[in-house]
Amino acid sequence: MQLLRRAIISSSLVLVMLLVVAVQVSAAASSTPSRRIGNSRFLPAVTDVQTVPYNPNAERLRQLQRQGRLAPSVHIMDSLPPATIIQFPLVPSGVKQAFPNATGQVTIITGNLDNRIDETVTVDVQNMPPNITFTIFYIELANKPFGNVEYVADLTTRGDGSGETVFQAIAIDAFAMDARNPGTSQDQSGTTSGVNLEHMGMWFSSLQDAQKVLNDDSLTGTLFDGGNPPLHAGPQAMTDGQTAPVF
Amino acid sequence: MFIYTLRSVRASSLSRLASILIGIVLVSLLVSACEGSPQSPPSSKGTSTTTTTGGFPTTPPPTRVPTFGTAGQVAPTVKVLGSIAPTLIVQFPLFPAASIKTLFPNATALVTVFQNPDANDFDTVTVDVQKMPPNVKFTVFYTELSSKPFGHAEYVGDVFTRSDGSGESVFHLITFVAFAADNRNAKVTSNDQSGEASGIQLEHVGMWFDSVNTARQVLNNPSIAGTPFDGLAGPLHAGPQAMTDGQTLPVI
Repeated sequence: MQLLRRAIISSSLVLVMLLVVAVQVSAAASSTPSRRIGNSRFLPAVTDVQTVPYNPNAERLRQLQRQGRLAPSVHIMDSLPPATIIQFPLVPSGVKQAFPNATGQVTIITGNLDNRIDETVTVDVQNMPPNITFTIFYIELANKPFGNVEYVADLTTRGDGSGETVFQAIAIDAFAMDARNPGTSQDQSGTTSGVNLEHMGMWFSSLQDAQKVLNDDSLTGTLFDGGNPPLHAGPQAMTDGQTAPVF
Repeated sequence: MFIYTLRSVRASSLSRLASILIGIVLVSLLVSACEGSPQSPPSSKGTSTTTTTGGFPTTPPPTRVPTFGTAGQVAPTVKVLGSIAPTLIVQFPLFPAASIKTLFPNATALVTVFQNPDANDFDTVTVDVQKMPPNVKFTVFYTELSSKPFGHAEYVGDVFTRSDGSGESVFHLITFVAFAADNRNAKVTSNDQSGEASGIQLEHVGMWFDSVNTARQVLNNPSIAGTPFDGLAGPLHAGPQAMTDGQTLPVI
């Protein structure tokens, strides 16, 4: 009888221990993943991270902005190093008359420049012409004649004129060149090869769409879309509108 | 005595009953705790040939080999995969360029480009490399020509190799209709897979050492000259081409 009682008590204790372990494992597993970083299991308490560590790249960009070498419309965020996050608006250009409230916001996330493979670029738009595909280009100049260009992505708006696209490509050090004669130009880091592309714009991918949306048959085609035929794209819709670089 | 025995037996039974009940409760709690812990969602990787219930498909969707370019206008190394409509998936290899061919003759790279033309904000490009110089950063460019002088070029991204010489990168950007243009000369055109198009088509892919110093060290050749195939400060700070598609006809 005593043996039976001991066995019951022992198994109860084992069950209690298993229960405790199971509850702990469950609690740890259900904790938010964002609380785990690298080898450290948990971040410090929230109050500790409110002091943002010094971010040398963000500070360098702020200095460039003070010197007028980065556009005043660029917001350099208090990001944790080694990430650098900048945001800047796009404003209506070709759609200004018909869609004066159109807005665009670009967010560029860069990792450590020494070991990042590309940048993540998000373009969010609101109050744009609905159900239209726009092309997104990196450009040498924000305004005509735009200069050298690089086609990076498309953005198709929804029925309410909103839309977004996220692409991953080189942004901060994007440049155009003909390797037969690359030349040099200035970017945020100094003198570089090629022609730096430091502005962004959005174009109607179709001239017909632009003529219809903007109710203007006199609009002419532009090169701001890929594929056949030449000059089938429409006018610029949104621009960063800056003289100094935005990225 | 009898009463004592009866009480003893009753107490013992009650104690046993209580112990059993506690045991059952604990087992239930243990089971519920285990069930409550988050589990990875059921795998959706099972082939659709698996018999399922509830009207889900039991056979894979049909695939087709989509048209890519016109006959004779795409490099013979390009493989167009049979895929589910409307997707287009092409693959092609990169080969060691002259600079690394002697020291790394077995270096390989595979480029995979994915496109969904119905939802085509950008194309998805994967570059996988093996047996390359280890622990080196390479840049990836779309170029007008696969070999010197390369012509117009677009900087796409980087690939870092691990200590075993392998590496991979994924990019999301316009690829199949990538082109270079200067809008001051907007009437310049060239032919791409779809016909005549604006600008100079960039239909080749290559990889370069991002640092000429690294290239000199890895290739044991201090006389290697710098090239423009990397961004940021220091013109011509990049090294020579490391991998090339090696084709005359377009690969993208």
